[in-house]
Amino acid sequence: MIGAALITRHLVKRRGRQRALDGLSLSVPRGSVTGMVGANGAGKTTWMMTVAGFLRPDAGEIDLLGGGPFDAARHAGRLAILPQDSELPLEDTPEGTLFRFARLQGLTAAAARRSVREALEAVNLTPRARARIRTLSHGMRKRVMVAQCFVGRPEVVLLDEPLNGLDPVEADRLRRFILGRRGRQTIVISSHNLEDIERLCTHVAFIDKGRVTRMDSVAAITHATDRIAFTLADEPRDRAALAAAVPGATFDWRAPARLLVCTFDGEVGDVASVNRRLLPALLAQTDVLAVASGLSLEEAFLAQPR
Amino acid sequence: MRALWHIGQTALGEWGGAIRSRRALVLLVLYLGAAVLCMNGTISVLGKMETELAAVLQLPDTGETGVVSASLWKSKPFNRMVRSVVGESPVLDDITGRHPVELIYAWFVFLCAPLLAVLVAGTRISEDLRSGAVRYMLVRETRLEWSVGKYLGQAIMIAVALVVSAMGAAVVTFCRLPSGTATSLFLPLINWGLRAWIYSLAWLGLALGISHLTRSPGRATSLGIVAIGIFGALSPVVDFLCASKGAPGVLTHLRMLVPAGAEMSLWRFSAVPLLSGSFHLVILGLTYLMAGAAVFCRRDV
Repeated sequence: MIGAALITRHLVKRRGRQRALDGLSLSVPRGSVTGMVGANGAGKTTWMMTVAGFLRPDAGEIDLLGGGPFDAARHAGRLAILPQDSELPLEDTPEGTLFRFARLQGLTAAAARRSVREALEAVNLTPRARARIRTLSHGMRKRVMVAQCFVGRPEVVLLDEPLNGLDPVEADRLRRFILGRRGRQTIVISSHNLEDIERLCTHVAFIDKGRVTRMDSVAAITHATDRIAFTLADEPRDRAALAAAVPGATFDWRAPARLLVCTFDGEVGDVASVNRRLLPALLAQTDVLAVASGLSLEEAFLAQPR
Repeated sequence: MRALWHIGQTALGEWGGAIRSRRALVLLVLYLGAAVLCMNGTISVLGKMETELAAVLQLPDTGETGVVSASLWKSKPFNRMVRSVVGESPVLDDITGRHPVELIYAWFVFLCAPLLAVLVAGTRISEDLRSGAVRYMLVRETRLEWSVGKYLGQAIMIAVALVVSAMGAAVVTFCRLPSGTATSLFLPLINWGLRAWIYSLAWLGLALGISHLTRSPGRATSLGIVAIGIFGALSPVVDFLCASKGAPGVLTHLRMLVPAGAEMSLWRFSAVPLLSGSFHLVILGLTYLMAGAAVFCRRDV
């Protein structure tokens, strides 16, 4: 990942007297999968719509792929978006719609056909490729909407709640597909499902009241490299033994969850070595029921100051 | 070139979508039905009138609709009488001698063209704004390309409707009139359909221009119908004002801002007025469209 694919600086968008975006600054690393996390009305969707050129910002700057704000003449085929609450042409077929989109993106007829076939396969819609969109279920329509984002391999893809409305099997398929795009395309995902964000994303931005409150890699936000949480059967009584096993680490016992959180820095060692040294000392005192590196993204988000 | 390519792609997609949409097909069938009924009714009524006229004038009844009217139309005293009522008019010169069935069909298609444009196309843009479908397009082409593509797609759709209705009317003439007369009427009917299409382009621009302004298809249709009423009324009002003494010259120019101002050029058979009128109407339609598109280019979608 070199440089940023998308930068917004001090972006402001007013809706009446409210500020949907209140100086939102964000830099999305090229090739990353970046999650946008925030409460309802935090500004995630407004940000995506503004970046895609659907909404006119009242102030601020957008730099998409080094070419300034979105302009179809410059960026057609380089940016794709899965917008919220937007229907595809109901009378057309998934294949026909995607082919038309691909041609508009500048693909040749042969390349468009190939790309459409791949996109429909990725969302498991090949058998319904020639059905009218009107006849498709809600989940299937959603999959067509996702597929159109990947036709022609655009460099930046904005996905607003991509897994909403999908059944577990299709949601899992889409997760694996997005994971496969890591490093090849820059993807921004907005979702309230933090487990999905944690699984899919390399970076996360917390959004609150139209501003970014924190932006970092998932590993840094969840302390995946400097914290281990052990779920234990009982509280370990001999803390000195633990400290002797990992000198320099600190231990925090959270009784209600029966969780022992071990925090350390890079000089103490990495997660694997700390775990290797600490486990025997713990097992000598109690049963270890689960081990997890870092916090969950949900815990990290809820721990944010508001 | 890229812009033209995008416009063409959108126009084709729009036309395909209109063909697949049941509503467009229903309107097409209704329009065809109306043209067939109009033609059939015209032939019946004209036939009865001519029979009665022949009886009053003690002329032999030819049994063919239009022959008496055509003879009357061509007679100099009748021609003088008409001119004394409507005044000297180049349009009258051009249409004198044409078959009455043909002229009544022309009147019908010119009357219906604005409504057809508003009902078929008036909601196309507002529907896409409401459903959000426009967003999938606007990351792939500019707003202006999209608007012009929509205009062309709908223009093709209306052309199909008018040609199909002309064919339907021609079929009626073949069923109701002697084959020689029907054959001679076939091309004129298609010709009037194409003239009405050019006339409809101005109304189409107006309907789509209005459609840019609202997300509600119902409101877009209502506004389109109101615009037909206002623009339709404006022309005779301006004519009346122009006829009065001391009327400012600007009124004449004002008349040219509405489609009806150039409508009569399409009733001419001389190349110069016909072409200049056609050009005027196309530019007028594009101006209306661009006015709506200018607002659309600045609004949030």
